[in-house]
Amino acid sequence: MLRPVLALLLLTNGTLADTADGEALKAMSWSQIEDQARGGTVTWFMWGGADNINAYVSTYVADRLKAEYDITLTRVPITDAADIVNLILNEGEAGVTDAGSVDLLWINGENFRSMKQADLAFCGYTGILPNDALINWDNPAIANDFGVPVDGCEVPWNTVQFAFAHDSATLTDPPRDMAGLLAWIQANPGRFTYPAPPDFTGSAFVRHVFIYAAGGPEALLGPFDQAKFDEAATKTWAILNEIEPFLWREGLTYPTSIIQLNELFANGEVAMTFNYDPAQFGIAVDAGTYPDTTRSFGLTDGTLGNTNYTLIPFNAPNKSAAMVAENLLLSGEAQLEKAKTEVWGASPAIDVSRTSEDTQAGFVEIVGHPSVVPAAELAKAALPELQADWLTAIEKGWLENVGN
Amino acid sequence: MTDRRRIFLLLAPALMVIGGLFLTGLGLTLLRSFRYMPALGLTDPDLAAYVAVLTRPDFLASLGFSLWIAAASTLIAAMLALASALLLRQSFPGRAVISFLVQLNLTIPHIVGAIGVLYLVSQSGVFARLARAAGMIAAPSDFPILTNDPDGIGIILLYVWKELPFITLILLSSLQTLGEDHEAVARSLGASRWQAVAHVLLPMISPALLSASALVFAFSFGAYEVPLILGANAPKALAVLAWQAQTEPDLVARPEAMAMAVITALIGLGLLLATLRSLRHRGLHAR
Repeated sequence: MLRPVLALLLLTNGTLADTADGEALKAMSWSQIEDQARGGTVTWFMWGGADNINAYVSTYVADRLKAEYDITLTRVPITDAADIVNLILNEGEAGVTDAGSVDLLWINGENFRSMKQADLAFCGYTGILPNDALINWDNPAIANDFGVPVDGCEVPWNTVQFAFAHDSATLTDPPRDMAGLLAWIQANPGRFTYPAPPDFTGSAFVRHVFIYAAGGPEALLGPFDQAKFDEAATKTWAILNEIEPFLWREGLTYPTSIIQLNELFANGEVAMTFNYDPAQFGIAVDAGTYPDTTRSFGLTDGTLGNTNYTLIPFNAPNKSAAMVAENLLLSGEAQLEKAKTEVWGASPAIDVSRTSEDTQAGFVEIVGHPSVVPAAELAKAALPELQADWLTAIEKGWLENVGN
Repeated sequence: MTDRRRIFLLLAPALMVIGGLFLTGLGLTLLRSFRYMPALGLTDPDLAAYVAVLTRPDFLASLGFSLWIAAASTLIAAMLALASALLLRQSFPGRAVISFLVQLNLTIPHIVGAIGVLYLVSQSGVFARLARAAGMIAAPSDFPILTNDPDGIGIILLYVWKELPFITLILLSSLQTLGEDHEAVARSLGASRWQAVAHVLLPMISPALLSASALVFAFSFGAYEVPLILGANAPKALAVLAWQAQTEPDLVARPEAMAMAVITALIGLGLLLATLRSLRHRGLHAR
């Protein structure tokens, strides 16, 4: 009675171990990997806060994986990739090395650094993906994730650049640079605020002020430097404390998340919001949350840009299927689909000039949303992201010096 | 002996859940709080995380804040519950309806209530909009700040609303078992109405009131979701601060998060033990 059950268990375990064995996969050809991936499943943990992104993954991507490889994609919505870093860390501690719960993770920045810090990522396989040829690894903004070398441990998916939004009906002429913004805040008490770090977006806003206070990003690139940090930080806290009484609720409290700031903007309590993914403004307008007259813009002294990635954990049970999924996400067609305004409006992470002529023509045809500042416009003044050590130091410093 | 074995067997499922899930989790939390995490190369347990946590100004502020919201909510809810229980004990027309209404929100999850509070009394909530329509305020910022405020007014409001029926229910059942005879005896022996309540009734229901209040205090002291939704960015409630440390990208911060969780649990446990002792003490005196 028990024996067949046991045999079955052993059998499934055997196949699990196969698709989970990263080192064996690296020795295979791409067609062998595709064969092994066929009929498998991919469990993808990804931030689930935007319906259009969820729809793109659950329909376009999932349908193509099913049709072309018979792979079943399970999308697990999460609010913060840090939770999943904890989950994988716990699995690692518990000795789960080939049957983890995560096959694919949408990630970047500090969380990627944590994954690398604890050796939780499957690395060194990206060159096997055929569509790796579309990635321009010579671009430091792609080859480094918030300053941390990617080292073949994750695959770029989108590029984004920070932008501000305002309602052009109530605020016709918003300030266009950081100095102007700071002056505007003081002239319009209660009409501006930012989410308290460590909120991802609020933390990015504080970094803009930090870079402004440092006189530009040049001095801040590279590894963390305490002396340079102290110099820029002192100025940053002075600026932020100076504008604090002029913020929403006189700066006594800050919104705790970007969601809360977006609500304040939607309710007209504040005049501006901002986002690391400007496509979100268009989505909110189409959903009726923001007024139709919402417009967005970058700062003439530049806004931060970054790349986000997909990563396969070291203990992913279905590595081959996850690799096939990553390869599909990188394809010119999939990148074009998500770049379409009505689908998502996400900027590609691949070098479009390396794609087919049809795909290139498709990118040219995309008409932007009136509320979303075009990526090309933002790209005219882009700031590189700082390394993760800078980020944590700035977040800690803010909590101690401004948000206490 | 067989009886004892049978009891043990019957309790085994419950013990397995408590022992297997809760105590294992607690044990892992303790290990990590002593900075024992082999996955990160931490193999020599020490107390550094506790020292770090107890000297962090934001932790002490959070500790004070959590004590404040727990004490204020418990006190207000207990007083209102006592008054409602004494009133609902009497018979009057419509009593059934009112007692149903008082207990209605027992079934509503805290998080739903918290979002409801946000919709009602935030600066762009329903009341603020009504006030604006009535011309009482000109802009959202004119409405009093009742949610996401540093004093935790919104949090206390929610806990009072949510825990009042709980304490009322426990008091009512305690009153029911007492009956009205004792008061009537006191009155017939010449005690005034107030004296009968203060010297006869209150001492008799105080064990129920005390234990219900202790549970409410321990819960509101350690709960996470309500202060997350209704709290300000600073000071944060203990549970919110601990979770923030737990999700900090730097993995080395994990032991501090665990130390915060352990300290929170110890305070809650200490309070419950103190309540238990005081109840036993009273019990001895009463005998």
